[in-house]
Amino acid sequence: MLGKGVGGGSGSKAPKPSFVSYVRPEEIHTNEKEVAEKEVTLHLLPGEQLLCEASTVLKCIQDDSGQHGICGKLVCTDFKIAFLGEESTLDDNEPQFKNKVIGENDITLHCVDQIYGVFDEKKKPLFGQLKKYPEKLIIHCKDLRVFHFCLRYTKEEEVKRIVSGIIHHTQAPKLLKRLFLFSYATAKQNSTATGPPHQTVMFDTIKDWHWELERTKGNIKYKAVNANEDYKVCEKLPAYFVVPVSLPEEDILCFQGRGIPIWCWSCHNGCALLKMSAFPKEQDESNLQIQKAFLDGIYKTIHNPPYETLKTEDLSNSFISLQEIQTSYSKFKQLFLIDNSSEFWDTDVKWFSLLENSNWLDIIRRCLKKAIEVIECLEVQNTNVLLIEENASDLCCIISSLVQVMMDPYCRTRFGFQSLIQKEWIMGGHCFLDRCNHLRQNDKEEHQRQLSLPLNPNKSSPKRGFFETDHLIKNLLGKRISKLINSSDELHDNFREFYDNWHSKIVDYHGLLLPHIEGPEIKVWAQRCLRWIPEAQILGGGPVAIMNKVLEMMEEVQSLQKKIDEKHNSLMTPPLDGLSLLRKPARLSSLFPFALLQRHSSKPVLPTNSWKTLGDEEDLAKQEDEFVDLGDL
Amino acid sequence: MWWGGRGRSFNIPPQKEPEMGSMQVSRMDEPRSPQTSSCPALRCLPGERVLAWAPGVRRGLEPELPGTLMCTNLRVLFCPQGWQARQDSVLNSDYDFSLSNIGRLEAVNGPGRPQILRPGSLLKFIPDEILIHGRDFRLLRVGFGDGGLEPLAFRVAMAIVQAREQNSPAQHYEGMILSKACCGLGSREPPVPLLETPEDWEAERRRQGARGWRVSTVNERFDVSTSLPRYFWVPRRTLDSEVRKAFSHFHQGRGPRLSWHHPGGSDLLRSSGFYEASDPNREDIRAVELLLQAGHSDIVLVDAVDELPTLADIQLAHLRLRALCLPDATVAEEKWLSALEGTRWLDHVRSCLRKASDISVLVTSRVRSVVLQEQSDRDLNGLLSSLVQLLSDPGARTLHGLQTIVQREWVASGHPFLTRLGGSGGSEEAPVFLLFLDCLWQLLHQFPSEFEFSEFFLLALHDSVRVPDTPTFLRDTPWERGKQNGQFSSYTQVYTPGSPQAPPVGDLVPRPLTVWDWSLRYSHQQILQFYNPCYEPHHSDSCSSREQPTSVAPGPPRSIFLFSRGTLTPLNQLCPWRDGFSSLMSSSRWLPRHNTSSDSLADQEWGLPPHWGASPLPPGLLLPGFLGPQIRLWRRCYLRGRPEVQRGLSAPTISGLLDELALLQGLLRTWSSRSSTSDHTKTKDPDTPPTPSR
Repeated sequence: MLGKGVGGGSGSKAPKPSFVSYVRPEEIHTNEKEVAEKEVTLHLLPGEQLLCEASTVLKCIQDDSGQHGICGKLVCTDFKIAFLGEESTLDDNEPQFKNKVIGENDITLHCVDQIYGVFDEKKKPLFGQLKKYPEKLIIHCKDLRVFHFCLRYTKEEEVKRIVSGIIHHTQAPKLLKRLFLFSYATAKQNSTATGPPHQTVMFDTIKDWHWELERTKGNIKYKAVNANEDYKVCEKLPAYFVVPVSLPEEDILCFQGRGIPIWCWSCHNGCALLKMSAFPKEQDESNLQIQKAFLDGIYKTIHNPPYETLKTEDLSNSFISLQEIQTSYSKFKQLFLIDNSSEFWDTDVKWFSLLENSNWLDIIRRCLKKAIEVIECLEVQNTNVLLIEENASDLCCIISSLVQVMMDPYCRTRFGFQSLIQKEWIMGGHCFLDRCNHLRQNDKEEHQRQLSLPLNPNKSSPKRGFFETDHLIKNLLGKRISKLINSSDELHDNFREFYDNWHSKIVDYHGLLLPHIEGPEIKVWAQRCLRWIPEAQILGGGPVAIMNKVLEMMEEVQSLQKKIDEKHNSLMTPPLDGLSLLRKPARLSSLFPFALLQRHSSKPVLPTNSWKTLGDEEDLAKQEDEFVDLGDL
Repeated sequence: MWWGGRGRSFNIPPQKEPEMGSMQVSRMDEPRSPQTSSCPALRCLPGERVLAWAPGVRRGLEPELPGTLMCTNLRVLFCPQGWQARQDSVLNSDYDFSLSNIGRLEAVNGPGRPQILRPGSLLKFIPDEILIHGRDFRLLRVGFGDGGLEPLAFRVAMAIVQAREQNSPAQHYEGMILSKACCGLGSREPPVPLLETPEDWEAERRRQGARGWRVSTVNERFDVSTSLPRYFWVPRRTLDSEVRKAFSHFHQGRGPRLSWHHPGGSDLLRSSGFYEASDPNREDIRAVELLLQAGHSDIVLVDAVDELPTLADIQLAHLRLRALCLPDATVAEEKWLSALEGTRWLDHVRSCLRKASDISVLVTSRVRSVVLQEQSDRDLNGLLSSLVQLLSDPGARTLHGLQTIVQREWVASGHPFLTRLGGSGGSEEAPVFLLFLDCLWQLLHQFPSEFEFSEFFLLALHDSVRVPDTPTFLRDTPWERGKQNGQFSSYTQVYTPGSPQAPPVGDLVPRPLTVWDWSLRYSHQQILQFYNPCYEPHHSDSCSSREQPTSVAPGPPRSIFLFSRGTLTPLNQLCPWRDGFSSLMSSSRWLPRHNTSSDSLADQEWGLPPHWGASPLPPGLLLPGFLGPQIRLWRRCYLRGRPEVQRGLSAPTISGLLDELALLQGLLRTWSSRSSTSDHTKTKDPDTPPTPSR
């Protein structure tokens, strides 16, 4: 049953990718028994099945450049590639943030980015059917991990099976139902139900939209509609959404939701952020006239009181293209997908120019800048802003989420942020499958995949609920963000003035945060990009050290506050301990909480060659013993 | 991090009244011209004259600050209104610009192009605004209103131009005296040993536990070398006569001396290059070898300039960096990073850190004695030896420790501050010391809880270099510095070898001011910000337990190595003269590290050497990161002049939390005292967290 189809035991012939002999989850009984006999157990999820495996595989430890490896078994299931080795993880060497399902040596199939084989010291990308099998397999992951598996000591038969198995299962086009372990995922039921402020709002009921309208006080001018219930009108639109009160509901039906201003969010002064999917470009003349008339009607509706004047922002034509984002991200990620440390050294001297060449930080800057421009219209000019994009599901998502994070303190709480993602990205119809190319339909389409990423560098920090101090967030936001070279038009002047004013903080802008976008201010999100590169760790240092101190002091402040309250009320309440969970007495790495403590942390930065002549023989022997001890660590 | 919130930046003077009694400063001279009669009172320095003044507003930061721009024969300063009365330091660290610190002077009138005022320039218009760009990256923007005072603005601008022409960079503010209580960091800290007396050296030697070493008085009259301190440490077994003989075969007479003794038994020495033209006899060679060997069986010579930038490189990089950081730099924002890379400044910082890190591992983990050798022994040797100590010795990371290191490795060791900072007008300007401070900032940035001092202290030290209030940074050698203070006049005649009991200098002359007298420039509140609230001293005495008996083995050393380009090469002999060749004499700088094949390079960087004591790294040792993404720009220093960046600097701080903590503790104490005493014992000791009073 195992490895069925892959290689199929058919000897030297390359396996045919035509095999589709998946056993259906109901038919397979998990191989627990068999697996339990191995040294390291393979944990299969309910419904997950083992497809192929190879033993005596060496997982090469990166910092030793392949000279040091851990022997184990490489397996491929219909969910992941996993390495089962005898790695002795020390108790205190567990990463702080661990996925319950995906272990340190697990690579889910859809996380695989590129697979390379090493043939006679040469690295080549692998795809399709192979004539020759590599001695080493290098897997680049989408989360920027890099795995090296040495197959030199593996049986030829097994090599063929595992390599072609992995290639097939990661690269062949897939059916959606095979993509994720849906049977596992549905097993988890929605747990406790609390109210919206303490729970993620899913926006899958009309009630949720009512709640959001009420929260932002947008319910006077906007209404939630159920025209698309059961996706009658359009599959891309959510079942429920919000439109201007005065918009006739039959308009929604006209063009499957195109040309309809859809409400995103209302600002404290009543101005709203709206989005609209544009009509496709190629149209014959008569259709064009109809559309034009339709749009004129729409604009008339929302251009008149009670609606504020409307500014439109055409993101499809005047902003970054999806192609740009993809090209840039491909360059950017190469900076971190390194195969050995020497590569890192080589790029080191040119680090800044390489980074700049990728253009990634500039894209982030432009997104932030666009968001600030939109905010300026909403906040200062008191106009509504309508974002227009072909499907209103890519750049619209970025800009509207950024605007809300910057303007709405609720979006900076954990649940608020999750609700925002749910509202703008999930319900907003962002094409995650296409953008991430999960189905491997066509590698070319992948160009749009990294769309949701620009959002994250700017947001990661404020997600924490206890950071709801606007100043702090502003600082955190500001840290990640660069001078605006823009055509000097009126908009630019307004923008500049607004930006400058906010940063000199004369006016109180009710919880508004503006990131810094000057040249030196936009930075790499190191915590994400560098977390798998051991050389980039600073043991016992980095911003974590400050964070630790801040947490410590906040804890202290809170406990004192508590004590004061206690004294005040003469009541006894148990001491709070929530924050102490985040603290750890040991020295933390600068890459906390992602990375393991560096294994080779005790290795000094010194050369090995030419040391051999040192010391006499006796010393040598003694010292080598010590070395071995240390190596076992 | 230690910055106050916006509008609370810490240039705002403290609330409390100054202790006027502590300061003796002369009265302002009588006004000479009619218009100065309405000039606001300035507490002048001795010998200072106000040349011109004009009322104006400090611009660039909100809120704009009304005050007066003044030009004196010593400095240009802006006095915010009401500032004088509340100032408790003589100089103002934010608005004082010594004449030699003025890098560029610009006058602006309307939207037109600003006029850059060079010595001899004639101002073409009445300025609306004057911009003073400090060579220390500070910027002062003063705008002038209408109100019929324009001639004053013109006059003050011209006065600055003329004053700069007449100013000599080596000139320092003379005659200032501080009361005893104001010296150094105040009563909380012991005074920084100036290392001008043998007692200082002896105390320092004991503190380091360098038992194999003694204080030599051979240079007491500066006749061995004028650039060396009067006292230094040499191996206990050598005689002063041997020291004298040996030192004559080194460049500028700067032979090998101890810089730092590692508790594990190894030593860090520094020395200038061998004097090639020498023809030492057998005895002299033996003396040289004894000094270099210092009783150790294995010695590693480190060519200090190897892989490090030259002085010219440093200077060029610094000039480029300054140009890039000017507020009107014409670099497009999306090209900022490559422009920064193009300055190569961060590259130089990186190579210094990398080399220092290598050497620290040799000295601490491998317990090998290292001799740093640089041709002049006055620039990069100081930088490396200071960095190695900061990386290896937790004690060096305190405020007192750092000041002691700067005093010993830079000031007393004869770093030519005046020349390097451009004071002597020669072409040998190179801000080596500022490069060191940048390296140090990187360490502080990477290890925020390992240093007792804060970023603000580093900034203060950085800026002090351009404030001519003390001769510390205004002289090239200890000899010149001493001459200035008139210290040796009393006993140059009575030199008696073997009895270095000269009368303490302090008895005769009032203690000269040094850069360490922070209250000259900083208020009490600002000095409190020198302390890093994140500091956690936790490596106390961790490495002293590994003390090994120093094997004092007379006779030739067993092994000698040259450490260069990341590898060790065995050498046949210590001195170059026997075979007429020294690998040290062939410069190996800027060659790439040997082996660039991927495997062995990784080994070089991270592999564990199989010999020489594979003990784990001592807990106090810091291994800095020096990869591309880890080396950062010191924004709070270099970008100070860019207002849009400046604004973002006022972030909420740990100090803010500390303030809240103090408030709560105070409240709690009030409550405790009011409530029953039995309850009192249950409360947590309020002194456990660091208090803002530090």
